[in-house]
Amino acid sequence: MTWISCLLAGALLQAEPEALKLLPEEIVLSGPRTTQRLLVVEPAEGGESVRDWTDEVRFAVSDPEVAAVEENSTIAAVSDGSTTLLAHLPDGRKASARIRVLGSAKPVRWSFRNHVLPALTKAGCNSGPCHGAASGQNYLKLSLRGYAPEADHAALTREGAGRRVLTLEPARSLVLLKPTLAVPHGGGRRLTVPSRNYQVLSEWIATGAAPPRPTDRRVASLRVIPSHLRLQPGQQHGVLVQAVFDDGSREDVTHWAKFSSTDSGILNVDETGRARALGQGEAHISVWCLDQVASARVTIPMTDGHGPEAYARAPRHNRIDDLVLKKLEDLGLPPYRLSNDHHFVRRAYLDAAGVLPSAREARRFVEDTNPDKRVRLVDSLLERPEFVDYWTYKWCDLLLVSRSKLKSPSHRIFYDWIRRSVAENKPWDRFVREILTATGSNTSNGAANYWVMHDEATKATENITHTFLGISVACARCHNHPLDKWTQEDYYGLSSFFSRVGRKPGDRGDVIIFESRSGEVPFPGRQDPLPPRPLEGNPIAEDAPGSRRQHFAAWLTSPENRYFLRATVNRIWHHFLGRGLVEPVDDLRQTNPASNEDLMDALVRDFTEHGFDLRHLIRTIMNSATYQASAGGAGSPELAEKYHSRFGVRRLPAEVILDMICQVTGVPERFHGFPSGTRALQLPDTRVASNFLSTFGRPAREINAHAERVKEPTVNQALHLIHGEGLHRKLQSESGFLSRSLAEGRSRQEVIRNLYWAALSRPPTDEEMRELLETLGPAPSPSSSGEIMDAERNGLADLAHGILTSKEFLFNH
Amino acid sequence: MFRLDTPRAVPFCDGLNRRDFLHAGALSCLGLSLADLCGLEARGAVDKSRDVNCIFLFLVGGPSQMDTWDMKPEAPSEIRGPYRPIPTNVPGIRISEIFPRMARHADRYALVRSFHHNVPAHPLAHYLVQTGQAFSPGIVYPNLGSATGFLKGADSELPPHLVLPIPLTSRKGQSAGFLGKTHDPFLIHSDPSRDDFRIQDLVPPEYVSAIRVERARSFRNVVDRAFRNFEEGSTSTRLLDSAYHQAYSIVSSARAREAFDLKSEEDQLRDRYGRNRFGQSCLLARRLVEAGVRFVTINMFDDFGGGVSWDVHGSSPFSPITELDKLGPMFDNAYSSLIEDLHDRGLLEQTLVVAMGEFGRTPKINPAGGRDHWPSVSTIILAGGGIQGGQVVGSSDRIAAEPRDRPVGPQEVLATIYKSLGIDLHTELPGPQSRPIPIVDIGVEPIHELFGG
Repeated sequence: MTWISCLLAGALLQAEPEALKLLPEEIVLSGPRTTQRLLVVEPAEGGESVRDWTDEVRFAVSDPEVAAVEENSTIAAVSDGSTTLLAHLPDGRKASARIRVLGSAKPVRWSFRNHVLPALTKAGCNSGPCHGAASGQNYLKLSLRGYAPEADHAALTREGAGRRVLTLEPARSLVLLKPTLAVPHGGGRRLTVPSRNYQVLSEWIATGAAPPRPTDRRVASLRVIPSHLRLQPGQQHGVLVQAVFDDGSREDVTHWAKFSSTDSGILNVDETGRARALGQGEAHISVWCLDQVASARVTIPMTDGHGPEAYARAPRHNRIDDLVLKKLEDLGLPPYRLSNDHHFVRRAYLDAAGVLPSAREARRFVEDTNPDKRVRLVDSLLERPEFVDYWTYKWCDLLLVSRSKLKSPSHRIFYDWIRRSVAENKPWDRFVREILTATGSNTSNGAANYWVMHDEATKATENITHTFLGISVACARCHNHPLDKWTQEDYYGLSSFFSRVGRKPGDRGDVIIFESRSGEVPFPGRQDPLPPRPLEGNPIAEDAPGSRRQHFAAWLTSPENRYFLRATVNRIWHHFLGRGLVEPVDDLRQTNPASNEDLMDALVRDFTEHGFDLRHLIRTIMNSATYQASAGGAGSPELAEKYHSRFGVRRLPAEVILDMICQVTGVPERFHGFPSGTRALQLPDTRVASNFLSTFGRPAREINAHAERVKEPTVNQALHLIHGEGLHRKLQSESGFLSRSLAEGRSRQEVIRNLYWAALSRPPTDEEMRELLETLGPAPSPSSSGEIMDAERNGLADLAHGILTSKEFLFNH
Repeated sequence: MFRLDTPRAVPFCDGLNRRDFLHAGALSCLGLSLADLCGLEARGAVDKSRDVNCIFLFLVGGPSQMDTWDMKPEAPSEIRGPYRPIPTNVPGIRISEIFPRMARHADRYALVRSFHHNVPAHPLAHYLVQTGQAFSPGIVYPNLGSATGFLKGADSELPPHLVLPIPLTSRKGQSAGFLGKTHDPFLIHSDPSRDDFRIQDLVPPEYVSAIRVERARSFRNVVDRAFRNFEEGSTSTRLLDSAYHQAYSIVSSARAREAFDLKSEEDQLRDRYGRNRFGQSCLLARRLVEAGVRFVTINMFDDFGGGVSWDVHGSSPFSPITELDKLGPMFDNAYSSLIEDLHDRGLLEQTLVVAMGEFGRTPKINPAGGRDHWPSVSTIILAGGGIQGGQVVGSSDRIAAEPRDRPVGPQEVLATIYKSLGIDLHTELPGPQSRPIPIVDIGVEPIHELFGG
C-alpha cells in the first residue's frame, strides 16, 4: 500500500507543470525612488527559461507598506523593511521572492553619470543623427552616447544661455520642454509625461543639477537575466538587465539598456528587451548600457529531434567531437558522419599544404589498411615543405606583406623571416612578440619591417588589435565604440604603447627601428597624453623597466589574454572548417559570441597548455571526427555549417586552384620576375600580375580585413573558367601531362583514370567512364593521320578542361 | 549543338529563349528551376504592361544639395556657397550654374528636394538608400536592382542587374543579400572610357572553337553528376552552377556581346556623354537596357574621400566645395546626354533614370572650405519610366537643413522606383529560412505626385 502511494505521488509530481521562477531572485531596493522590473519565467531542466509568463501573472506584495507593484511589472520601494512578493498564474502555479527595501527615506539624488545620461541615451538624444553628431544639432552638442559626461554636463547647464536647465524653475528647462514637445523640437517627441525618464531629469534639475564627480561609482559589468532562453519559433520572451557597480551595488537598468539581436534572421529584439524567435538555430540578445555590454543566449532548436543514441553512436576522435555533438544534440541537428578515404585524403592535403595528393599518393592512402593511417597522414603533411609555403602565405596575408606597403626587397626580407618562423614552428606567442618588439635594421631583422609599415601610432593601434586580437577599436579614435565597450581612453591608452617607436635611415638605404626615449600620442581635447594602458588593464608606470612595446607584447601574448587566444584559435578553425567559431572571423566583439563557446574555451585551453604550438592545434583539429566529417547530407546548409553537422563544401582559394591546375596539367604558371616552377602559394607578394588570381579573389593585402579575400563563385570566374587563355594553353602545351601521355601511347581509359586520380583523388565510376568515352566518339587507330591525332588530342584536352572546371575539382569537400 | 554566332535568340517564354529553356531543363537537377529564371511574373507580382527598366546613377560621396539642385541664394554666404542658380526651361525651377545642359531639360525630370534619413556614415548610408533598410547584423537586405532582377527575371541573355563600372569599396548595399548570391549583380570591373575596354573572357582564345567549348561543357556535366550528393551541403556550389549558366548565356549571345561594344557608337555621341568613366558608363547603361537588362547601377565613384568624389569635406585628403567645378560638367554632360539619347530613341518612357547620393551636406561651410555629411536633407532626380517631369516635390527649409514639407524617406524612394517598374508593393521576397519579407515596409506609399496622381 505504502509503496503504491509513493509511486502515485511520484507520478503526480512528474505530471505537475514546471515550477515558475520570479526574477531577479534577490530583490534589494536600495535608496529612494528605486524600482526593479520583474520577470516570471518557466525554467527547464538545464536552468534555461522556456517561457515568459510575466504578462499572465498577478503580483501581490504581502506588506504593501514596504513595496508596491506598479504598471509594467515593476516593483517600487515604499518604505524600509522586508516583505515577500508573490506571482500567481490563473492555473494555480506561483512563484515568490524576498524583497528588502533600504534607505528609501534618504533625499532623492540622481547621478548625472549613472542616471541622467543613460536616460538621455535611451531617448536617443545623444545618438549620431541627433545631438551626438560631430557638430551637434541646433547648437546643442552632446557626446555620442554620453562618453564625455563632464562636457555634456557643461553643455546642458552652462551653454545655451542657461535656458536648458533652470534649477529654480525646473519645469521651464528646455531639456524638459523640447523633448516633450511643449515647445517645437526638430527631433520630435522623445519624452512622455509622466515617465521614469521625465522623473529622473526633472528631479535631477530640481535638486540642483549636480555634475558628474570623479568619485561617482562606475559600472563594472552588466548582467542579463536570464542568461539563457530556449524558445520555439514565434514565441516571445523578455529579459532584465542589472548594472553591477564597482562598489558591489546593483541596479536595474532594463529601461535604459539598448537591445539588439546578433542574428536578426532568426531573432528579433525590441527596444524593451523583448525577444521574438523567428527561425531556428541560436542567437544572442546583445545589451549595451553605460559603455558596458553583455548578452543572453537564445536557443531555438529544430523540432524534428534525433534520439540521444544517434549522438552516442557518432564517431568521436577527441574532445572537439564531444563538444560539437553536445551542441548538435542541444539544437536538434543531426550528428555528422565520417567521410570516406578519397574525400579525406584530398581535403587533408589541400587544407594543410595547399596541394593535391598526386595520383600515386592518393591511391596509396586509399589502399593502405593501417587503422592509424589518417593520423599518420596528418603528421606527415605537417612536415611537408608545402605546409611551410602555405602557412607563410597565410601569415603574409594577415600581416599585409606586399610591395604596396614595403619597398622591394624589404617585403622579401619580411617574407623570409615569416617563412623561417613557420618552418621552425615558432610558438605563436613568440612569433607575435618578436614582431611587436622588433628593433634594428629592417634588412637584417625582417620583423622590423612591421614597424616600417606601421609608421603611425594610431595605425599600429588599429591594425595590431585587429590582426592579433580580432577586435576593432578604430571607432574609439574619435568617440567611444557605439557597439562595443571600447572607449576613447582605451584607444589612446593603447596608442601610447606605440608612441616611442623610433625610425632612422641606416647606411645602406635601410631603416633602423629603435626605442625612442620620448614621444606621446596627444589625446584630443585634453592636455596630458594618457599613459600606456592595455585593454581591461592598469596603466604602465613611467618608470617601469623595459620599453613600452615590450610591456604591450607581454600583455598581448599572455596566456591570460583571452582575446589573443580566441582570435588565433578562431583563425585556424576557420581555415579548416570553412567557418570561424566566431563569424566574421576578425570580429571578436563581446556581443558576438562563438557558435560553440564551450568548444572555443576548450581549444583555447589546449592551445595554451601546449605552449601556443600551432602545429599541435592544427593536428588536433585535423584528427577530430568533426573535421573528417562527410560533406554530404540533407537539411539547412547554414545551420549545418555553423554547428558542423557536416563538412562545409566551399570553393578553394584562388592560389590553391591555380596551383592545382598546374599540378594536374603538369605545366607550371609563369609569374613575371620569378623562376619557372614557382607556385602561386610561394609568391612573396600579391602585386605579381595574374589574371587568374585577381579574378578568383586574391586579396590585395591593402586593408586589414578578412573580407578582402573573395571566396564566392562569380559570373566573372565562370567566364574565366570557360574562356580563360591560361587553362586552354596549359592543356595545349607540348610539355604537359596530355602530350606526355599521348607520346607514351597511353589508352584513353588510362588517361581518364590518371586524370581522375590526379584531380579528384578517386577513380572514375564505370558510368562516368562510359559516358566520357561516348562523348569522345570513336577512338583513332594507331595508324591514324596527324589530323585525326590532333582531333584526339583536342578531345582529351576538352575532357581535362571539363574535369578541371568541375565543382568536384574547384571545391573542397 | 548550339552556335555561338546565333544572331538573335528566339523568344520562348518571358525572359527566356528556347535554348535557355533546354538548359533550364538540364539544370533543374542543379537547383535552378524555370521559375527562378523566369522570375515571378507568373505569380502576378509584376505588371507586364509596365515594361520599364531602370538606370540608377549613384552619386557616391553625397552631393551637396545647396550647391546643386536645391540652391539657397538668399541664405547667408557661409551657407549658400560659391555657385549661383540659373533658370531652367521650366519657369520657377532653378538649379546650379554648374549644370547648364540640365537646365534645358527640366521638363523631362522631377526633383525631390525633401529626401532625408538619419545615417551620416557612407557605408551604412550606401546600404540604407539602396536596400531601404538600416544595417543590422545577421540579415543582409537585397539591393533594389537585385530585388528587381529577382522579381522580373532576365529579359535577355544578359544578367538582369549590372553594376558599372567598379563596385563600391564600402561593399555595402550592392549585393542580393538574402536572395542569394545567384542574384548578385554582374560586375564588369572595367572602365568603359578606356581604349582597351572589354569584358574579360567574353570570347574564347581563337584556337578554341565553339564546338570545343560546348564539348568541354558536356564533359563537365558528366563529372558534376557525381557531386550531387554534396549539393545540399552548400549554397556556393549552386552559385557556381548559376554563374556558369549566366556566363554561357552571355557568351553564346551575339546581342549580349554587342551590348558591351561601345566602339560601335559614333564618336560624336561618345564625346557628348563625356570621355570619362561616368560618361561612358552612362552610354554603356543605355546600350544595356536596350539589350534587355532590367536594372543598371552606375557608381559615379567607387570610393568616397581620398580621390575625386562628391565627399567635399574640404580638408586634405578631401576636396573643397570648388571640386564641383569639375564634377558639375561631368554629371551634366553624362546625365543630359543620357536623357536626350533615351528620348531620341523613344526609350525614355520605358526607362526610369534615378540620380541620388547617399546623403546631403552640412548647410554651413566648415572652416576648411568644405561641407560635411548631412543626411537630414538632400535632392533626388527622377526621369522617365512614367515620371512626370518639370516638377519639384517637397522642399527644404531656408538653409537646406531639413525638409520643410513632404519629407521623403528611403523606403518611399524604393516604393516609387518599384511602382515605376511595375512591381506590386505588396510583393514578398523569400527571406532567411524562407521567412517572407515585404519589398517595402507595410504601409509605405510611393511618391504619387511624381506619376501625375
